[in-house]
Amino acid sequence: MIKMRWVALLAALTLVVAACGGDDDTTDTPETTAAPDTTQGTQAPATTEAVTPTQSMDYTFHMVTHSDDGVFWSVVKRGAQDAADALGVEMVWSPSSNDPEKQVQDVQAAVASGSDGIGVSLANPEALGPEVEAAIAAGIPVITLNSGSNQFKELGAITHVGQTEVVAGNGAGERFNALGAGKVLCAQQEQGNIGLEERCQGLEETFNGEVVTQFVGLDSEPEAQINTIAAALQADADIDGVLGVGPNVAVRAVEAGNQAGRDLFIGGFDISGDLISAIDAGNVHFTVDQQQYLQGYLTVVFLFLNATNLNTVGGGLPVLTGPGFVTTDNVGEVAALVEAGTR
Amino acid sequence: MSTETPTVPAVQADERLAYRGPIQRLLTRPEIGGLIGAGSIWIFFWSVSDVFGTTAGINNYLDVATSLGIMAIAVALLMIGGEFDLSSGAMTGATGMLVVLLVKDTGELGGLGLPLTVAIPITFLFAMGVGWINGTLVEKTGLPSFIVTLGTFFVLRGAKLGFSKLFVDKVIVEGLDDAPDYDFWVNIFGAVWIRNDHLWDSFLGGRDLVFGVLAAIGATAIVVGFMELSLVRRTEAGSMPSVRSAFALLIGLVAGFGGLIYLTQTDGVADNWTGALVMAVGAILAIYGYSSWRFEPFSGSSGGVSMGGQNGRRALIGIGLIVVGTLLGVVMDSSNTDVLGLLLTVQGLRAILFGGCVIVGVLILLGAAQRSDTSPVNRFVLTALAGLSVAGVGFVIQAEAASRKYRAEFFAWMMAAAVLLVTIAIVRISFDQRRHADEPADRFGTLVSISGIVVFLMAIATKLLWATSIELVESRAIITYRISILYFFVFAGVATWILMRTKFGSWTFAVGGNKGASRQVGVPAARTKTQLFMVVSGASWLVGTLIAFRLNSVQANVGDGQEFFYIIAAVVGGNLLTGGYGSAAGAAIGALIMAMSFQGIPFAGWNSDWRFLFVGVILLLAVMVNNYVRGRAEKST
Repeated sequence: MIKMRWVALLAALTLVVAACGGDDDTTDTPETTAAPDTTQGTQAPATTEAVTPTQSMDYTFHMVTHSDDGVFWSVVKRGAQDAADALGVEMVWSPSSNDPEKQVQDVQAAVASGSDGIGVSLANPEALGPEVEAAIAAGIPVITLNSGSNQFKELGAITHVGQTEVVAGNGAGERFNALGAGKVLCAQQEQGNIGLEERCQGLEETFNGEVVTQFVGLDSEPEAQINTIAAALQADADIDGVLGVGPNVAVRAVEAGNQAGRDLFIGGFDISGDLISAIDAGNVHFTVDQQQYLQGYLTVVFLFLNATNLNTVGGGLPVLTGPGFVTTDNVGEVAALVEAGTR
Repeated sequence: MSTETPTVPAVQADERLAYRGPIQRLLTRPEIGGLIGAGSIWIFFWSVSDVFGTTAGINNYLDVATSLGIMAIAVALLMIGGEFDLSSGAMTGATGMLVVLLVKDTGELGGLGLPLTVAIPITFLFAMGVGWINGTLVEKTGLPSFIVTLGTFFVLRGAKLGFSKLFVDKVIVEGLDDAPDYDFWVNIFGAVWIRNDHLWDSFLGGRDLVFGVLAAIGATAIVVGFMELSLVRRTEAGSMPSVRSAFALLIGLVAGFGGLIYLTQTDGVADNWTGALVMAVGAILAIYGYSSWRFEPFSGSSGGVSMGGQNGRRALIGIGLIVVGTLLGVVMDSSNTDVLGLLLTVQGLRAILFGGCVIVGVLILLGAAQRSDTSPVNRFVLTALAGLSVAGVGFVIQAEAASRKYRAEFFAWMMAAAVLLVTIAIVRISFDQRRHADEPADRFGTLVSISGIVVFLMAIATKLLWATSIELVESRAIITYRISILYFFVFAGVATWILMRTKFGSWTFAVGGNKGASRQVGVPAARTKTQLFMVVSGASWLVGTLIAFRLNSVQANVGDGQEFFYIIAAVVGGNLLTGGYGSAAGAAIGALIMAMSFQGIPFAGWNSDWRFLFVGVILLLAVMVNNYVRGRAEKST
C-alpha cells in the first residue's frame, strides 16, 4: 500500500509540474503517470529508430511521417539521414504506415521529448492539425513535407517541402495530351488518401479526354492489382491510357494491358527499379518524379538552419521538389541513381 | 401399389441410426451454402456486366482466386484442426523474397548467387521450419495460436523489411530472371497457357452447341441420379418399361434435345419461344416416362387442396410479388439512365425491383410448398406455380431484353429452372418418396449423379478452354491460364481427399473438435497440429514462389494483411472459426466468392469507393445463407 501511495504522489506531482510548465494537451496522456521520473524514456514510441539521448550540444530533429517504409519512403528516409549525417545532428525517423492515430502519438512524443524541430507529413490534416499547432505553440519549429501544401501556412509551419499533387497531376495530364490518349484510367493503390485523389483531380483538370478514377487494390496484393486493372479495361473498351498514381501500380498496368490485349499509354508516379526498367523497355511512357530524396534532405537542412540561424525558407510559399519527369530520354542516367537508392 | 411397405421399426430407433439418404448427407456438407452463394454472385455479376461471363472475365477472377484459394485451403485445414495462423500472409512475401535474395549476386552482401535448383528447396525448408516453430511454440507453451502466430507475423514482417534493406538497400528485391536455372524453373512456377489460337467455330456445330448438349446431358444425369436416390424402385416385374412410358420417354428425349439444339442455333423471339416450349414439354415427358417405368406410384393420401391458412396467405403474397415485379419490369423505362439520387439510375432501380420481387416471390412460393408436408396436392400446386412463374418471367425478360445474353442464354437457363421445378412437382405427387436405405439404388444413383456432375464440368471446360472467333473479336482479350490455377485445383482436390479419406484427415477433425478427448483415444494431437502449421507455411511457400516468378520481384510488404482474407474465405466456404467442422473444397469456393466480389466491381464499371461496403454485404449474405442451409438440412433429418 505504501508503494501505491508513492506512485500516486509522484503521478500527482508530475501532473502539477506539467500543468505549470505548458498549456499543451500532451500532459494528460496516461504515460506520464506510468513512469514519472523522465519524460524522455516513456515517450519514445516502439517503432522509432535510432533513439539516442539528447546531448546538450546536439540537435535532434524528428521526422514524423505516414511512411510505410516502402519504395518511396525509404528514399525520403535516406535523404533525411544523409542530411543529418552531413550536419552532424540526430534524426529520429517515426513511420506510421498510414495510421493517423499513431502519427498523432508520434508528434506528441516528439514534442514531449523536447525536439529541436519536427518534419511532419500531413497525410491527414484533420487529425494532425491540432498536434502541429500544439508543437508550434510549444516553441518547436515545424516543416511539413510530402503532404500538406494547402495546410502548412494556416497551421503556422515554416514551409512545406514537397510537390503539390494537383500540379503534378496537371503535368501528367499534359503528357497524356501529347501522347494522344483519349480516355485514361486513374488507378489508385490506396483508398481515401488525399494526395492520390489530388493527383487524379490534377489529371482531370488538364487532360482533354475523359478520366475514370478507380481503386485497384493495395500494393500488398500485386496479383489483384493486375487483374483489377485488366477487368476495368475489359469493361470499357474506350480506355487507352492508364495513370498509376504510384510506382508499383504503373508496372502492374503493363501486365494488365497484356492480359486484356490492349495497347496502352501508361504513366506512373514516383520511381522504382521495376518502373525504370519498364520505361527503359518502352512499356511505360513516363513517370512523374517528385524527387523525394529532397523532401527528406531539405527538411532536415531547413530545420537545422532555423535552429542554428533562425532562417525561414520559402517566404510563406511551399518549396517544390517536383514534378520532374522520367521518360525514355533520361531514363539511363536516373537508373544509376535509383540503383544507388537516392532517386 | 406396393405390396411390401418398408420395414419401419416399431420401437423408436436411435436418432443417430436414422436413415439419412445420400441427398440428405450432401445437403449437410459444409460447402453447399458456399456453392449456392457462388452461383448467386456469379449470376448477379453476369447479368450486370458484359465481360464477367466471358472466358477472359472468368480467367480474371480465377487468377485472383488462385493465390487466395491455395492459402484459404491450407488455412481451412488448420482451422478445422482448431488453430489460426496469422503469419500466413507475411509468410508468402517472406518466401518469395527469400528465393530472390538467395539467387541474387550483387554487391558484397547482396545475396549468395545460388542457382534456383538449390534456392527453391532451401526456401521450402525455411517455410517448413517456420511452420514447425509455429506449431511447436503453440504446443509447448499452450498459448493461443492467435498470439503466437501474431508474434511470428511481426517477426516475418520486420525481417522482410530489414533483410531487404540490409542486402539490397531497397525495399524491393528484383531480378529473379537473372538467376541460373531460371529457364527450367519458370516452366514449373511461371508457365502460362495461351488459348487464343484454340478456336472452335464449326466442328460438331460449334462450341456453344457442344456446351449446350453436354450441359443438358449432365443435367439429365444429375436429375436421374437424384430420382434414383429419392424415389422407391418398382419391385414387381418392373424391369421392362410399359409401352406408354417408353413412348413418353422416347418422344420426350427427341423433343427435349431437338428444342435445345434449335434454341442454341437461333436468336429470334418467336423461334426462342417455340424452341423453349418444345424443350420444356419434351423434358417433362421424358422424365415422367422414365419415372413411371422405374418407380412406385404415389401411395399416400393426397390431403386435398386447402388454400386457406398461413400457407395460403404465403402463396398469395408470393404470387403477388411476382406479378408486381413483372409489371414494374414491363412498365418502367429500361433505357432511362437518369440518376435518381445516390447511385441508382432508373434502369438500375428497375432491375433491382424486378429481380428482387420475382426472386423473393418464387422463394416464398417454394417455402410455402416445403411447409405443406401434410398435403401433397398443395405442395404440387405451389411448386408447379413457382415453376410456371419462373417460365412466365423468362418469357417477359425475353420479350423485353435488348441483348442476346438475356434473350438466348438467360432465357434458356430460366426455362431449365422452370422445367426442373415443374418436374419436381410432378414427380413428388406421382411417385413414392424413399425413406429407407436401398444399397443398389443408392450406389447406382450416386454413380449416375457423379457422372452427371463430371459431364456438366466438361461442358464448362469446353467453354473455358476453347474460344470462338466472335468472342475473341468482342472481348479482344488474351486468354492466358497461369499454371497457378492448376496448382489451385490440384491442391483443392488433394486436400479434400486427405480430409475425407485419410487417417490424418480424421485426426485433423478430432483435434479441432476436442483435443483432450482425441488425445485420450490415441490421436497424436501435438504432432497433427504441428503438421497442419507446416501445411500452411508450405502453401505460403508455393504462393510466394508463384508471385516471385510472376512479378520477377518481391516488395517487402507483399502479403501483409492478407491472412485475414484467407480466414474469411475459409469461413465463407463453410468452415467454423471454432474448429472441428469444415471442408477444403469449401475454402476454395469461398476464395472464388471473394475473388468474384472484388473483381465484379470493376467489371460492372462501378465506383470503387463502395468496394468494401459491397464485399461486406456479400460476405454477410454468404455466411447467412450458409448457416441457413446447414440449419435446415440438419433439422430435416
